[in-house]
Amino acid sequence: MTLGRAAYILMLLSPGIGLIVVFIGAVVYIAVAQSFGYYNLIGESGFSWSFWIEGIDRKSYLRAVRYSLYVGLTSAFLSVALAYPLALWLRKPFPGSMTISAILKAPLLVHGIVAAFLFLNVISYHGILNQMMVWLGIFDEPRRLQNDEHAIGLIFLQVWKNMPFALLLLTGAVQAISDDVLNAAQDLGAGAWQRFLTVIAPLTVSAMQASLIIIFIGALADFTFQTTIGPTNERSLAQYMTFMKDRGRWNDAAVVGVTLMALSLAGSVLLAVVSRLAFRGRRK
Amino acid sequence: MIARLRIDQAPILVLLLICTLWLLIPFTMAVLWSLVDPSGTWTPDTLLPPVISLYRWEFMWNNSLLQPALLNSYTLAPTAAVVTLLLAMPTAYALGRYDFPGKETVKLIALLPLVVPTFVTAIFFSSILFQMGLAQYRFFAILLAHAVLFLPFAIRILTVSFEQVRQDHVDAARDLGASPLERFRVAYWPALKPGIMATLLIVFIQSIEEFAIAYIVGTPDFTTVPTLLYSQLGQDFNRSNAAVLALILAVPNVILMLILERFLKSANPALSSGKG
Amino acid sequence: MLNRLMSATAALALTLSLAPAQAQTMDWDAVVAAAQEEGEVTWFVWYFEDRFREFTKAFTEEYGIEVRIPDGDHIANIDKMIAEAGRETGDIDVLAYGFDQLPNINPELFIALDGLPADEGRVATVAGIEGGAVAVAYWGNQTGIAYDPAKIADEDLPQTPEDFAAFWTSNPGQFGFNYENGGSGPSFYMSVLRAVSDVDFSESDDSAERIAALQGGIDFFNEHADDYVITASNADSITRLSDGEFTMVAAWEDHLAGLQVNGEVRDEIRFYIPEMGMFGGGNAVSIPANAPNANAALVFVDWLTSPEVQSRFNVEFGTAPMNLAADDSAALVSMEMRERQTAWPMRPFRDAVEAHFIDAVILER
Repeated sequence: MTLGRAAYILMLLSPGIGLIVVFIGAVVYIAVAQSFGYYNLIGESGFSWSFWIEGIDRKSYLRAVRYSLYVGLTSAFLSVALAYPLALWLRKPFPGSMTISAILKAPLLVHGIVAAFLFLNVISYHGILNQMMVWLGIFDEPRRLQNDEHAIGLIFLQVWKNMPFALLLLTGAVQAISDDVLNAAQDLGAGAWQRFLTVIAPLTVSAMQASLIIIFIGALADFTFQTTIGPTNERSLAQYMTFMKDRGRWNDAAVVGVTLMALSLAGSVLLAVVSRLAFRGRRK
Repeated sequence: MIARLRIDQAPILVLLLICTLWLLIPFTMAVLWSLVDPSGTWTPDTLLPPVISLYRWEFMWNNSLLQPALLNSYTLAPTAAVVTLLLAMPTAYALGRYDFPGKETVKLIALLPLVVPTFVTAIFFSSILFQMGLAQYRFFAILLAHAVLFLPFAIRILTVSFEQVRQDHVDAARDLGASPLERFRVAYWPALKPGIMATLLIVFIQSIEEFAIAYIVGTPDFTTVPTLLYSQLGQDFNRSNAAVLALILAVPNVILMLILERFLKSANPALSSGKG
Repeated sequence: MLNRLMSATAALALTLSLAPAQAQTMDWDAVVAAAQEEGEVTWFVWYFEDRFREFTKAFTEEYGIEVRIPDGDHIANIDKMIAEAGRETGDIDVLAYGFDQLPNINPELFIALDGLPADEGRVATVAGIEGGAVAVAYWGNQTGIAYDPAKIADEDLPQTPEDFAAFWTSNPGQFGFNYENGGSGPSFYMSVLRAVSDVDFSESDDSAERIAALQGGIDFFNEHADDYVITASNADSITRLSDGEFTMVAAWEDHLAGLQVNGEVRDEIRFYIPEMGMFGGGNAVSIPANAPNANAALVFVDWLTSPEVQSRFNVEFGTAPMNLAADDSAALVSMEMRERQTAWPMRPFRDAVEAHFIDAVILER
């Protein structure tokens, strides 16, 4: 690579990547420094391992890490798994496809907080869902469905909110696959699942990675859904961090914050690598 | 041929049914909640609210920050979408069309804004603003922060788009002596258009939804829709008032969705470029 | 009336503001004139913003000063004030916050309120926390138990931890409280911990021994874990009670009253403070040192803490008035019952108890 070409690439990167590095760099620097005892808002500042040592040792810390990873990964996989068949189905227009596509994408334009609030009303003890189940005779009496301990309601809402996002990305990618390629695969006798593994997935791996990663990070750091409809016997990392921050424990909050960043990063790399290894290898 | 391409439809239809019900039922309930008059509490044992009035609608329109919040959010979001798109284009072009050492690293760096929890970003960004004496330029500060926060989305999506530009089309256009502009129109635009639309759409939505930055940097002069919703639907929610807000805020979104659906349709490469 | 109020306030553990009516550097009329010149005041309050916007129209009518109330969050408002302390002119004219937050805030960030006209009825110390010269109370509140009288008779209401345990056992799933998003649930479980274990809750010491001494209370909650319900917030508890899901929930008196006046919660729902005692306190207002409209802020604080406004708060929001000359006849609980109020535990002990309760009870569910 010549010097001139390198300069050209750098010039192209500077408005996007350059801005990110400067802006986020400052913020990350301060968060990391705080987790080691620097930049205290109140009291003395100075290097210390103690916030990390004590922080990681807390039971609630590990619980929050485990729980957030569960929510992040489950939401990402389910959203993408649901989006694929829909994207393929909507690949070519047919009567009614516009309406279907609009219904599916509606969640993008309903605020997360609004969705959580409406969802809560539907599944509440005397909500319409319970009343219907009792009327149908499926439930003997209303059941307590809100804040369920396996976070089913929360993951339902995460998927509902994020699936359209994956759909948006995947639709573009799937539409870019030419019919010739799909036909060729079919002529070679590949079944639907085979076709997905050997043709569709490898050709859309970029969009798949993007959807997985973006949904994973969003769900991992979720706060609003967790505090309204999440299980009351679990805390997400963002919730745990806010809990610390609200009590003025900035250094402890920074430990959780840095953990959250590290998990986002590690999880994203893992998802990117796994999806690439799983599907790029099959190409050709 | 299309028929054979379809995956088993039964689960998809069930999903559609759920999606439709899940849109219809909550919003119907929200309409009812919004009509509850303060003089009569609506309890689950009655099908409809005992006293119906438009009191809540009047109250919220007059006493909540709904009006400025709508104006602010719907000015900020489209601006953020365009700015983010412009900032992301060169980077996405480099990532999508060139191979260079450290490309994977650059892709990871592009994800950084997503990795940092927004509340952390918000607090330290506002502190930087204060130190630089720029805190009164709230609109521009939030705009900048939103642009940075949503660059990862824009870069990822546009990189995918640039990757899908077919080199044989570019080469063919060049071999036929097309001008750079012409080459862009013929070879790049069809592949980029869906990506650009998706970027604008996603950044717009993210900006409309973003809470931490808007709150920390924006208060008190700059109320956005999420800061408003947070205060109304958060821990001290009042179902009827919240229902009014949820409904009022759904209207511009529905209109927007119709417009965007049209955009996306016209941006469909399989339809517009005759490709495939 | 005055006599009754005096005893009530003694029960509320309130003391008078002893700030002397100092020789004021500026005549009050001049302050009002300067305030009107400023023309607006920004009040940061974290709850009932819409209703306060409507309520403060009376202030605008009286003084011609616009009141701006942004939507906010309790801690975020305080954080914002602290973050902006370095600026010459901030955004906040009047900051509202819970008295229990006061020890966390450096008083030098506020101006002294000795510019206010003398009013002996004003309250500056709530539940053992002294506002000193910088903070004055405008909102009195009490935690307790909200109940549905159709499901439980007054004489059967649980009064002690044992009573609650008995109620839980015979009525599983009928009692709810939150552990976050509001203080009503924390008040309930800490009051039980306080009653069951031998720890002095008025000490701020958060040593491991003191936390370990709570074990009896922790076991109490774990033994009955299946019979009570953890809710998501103050509002969630009350809403579900009103909808008929629960018989009893932990609640704030003012929150319940406010929702009833608003037609959000059934009027039949009632409220009591159990004999074991539950925490009560209040909210304060202060004026940041870099307030952009300091004169208007003073006039607003004077208006907010006046007997007239405090009486109206009592009617419209169900608060305990924070001016001794105010009328509190619209309250949900009797004066006798108010004597059961206890003071919130001191931080950092309180924070340590909350963190321990979450680890040892909530996360074990």
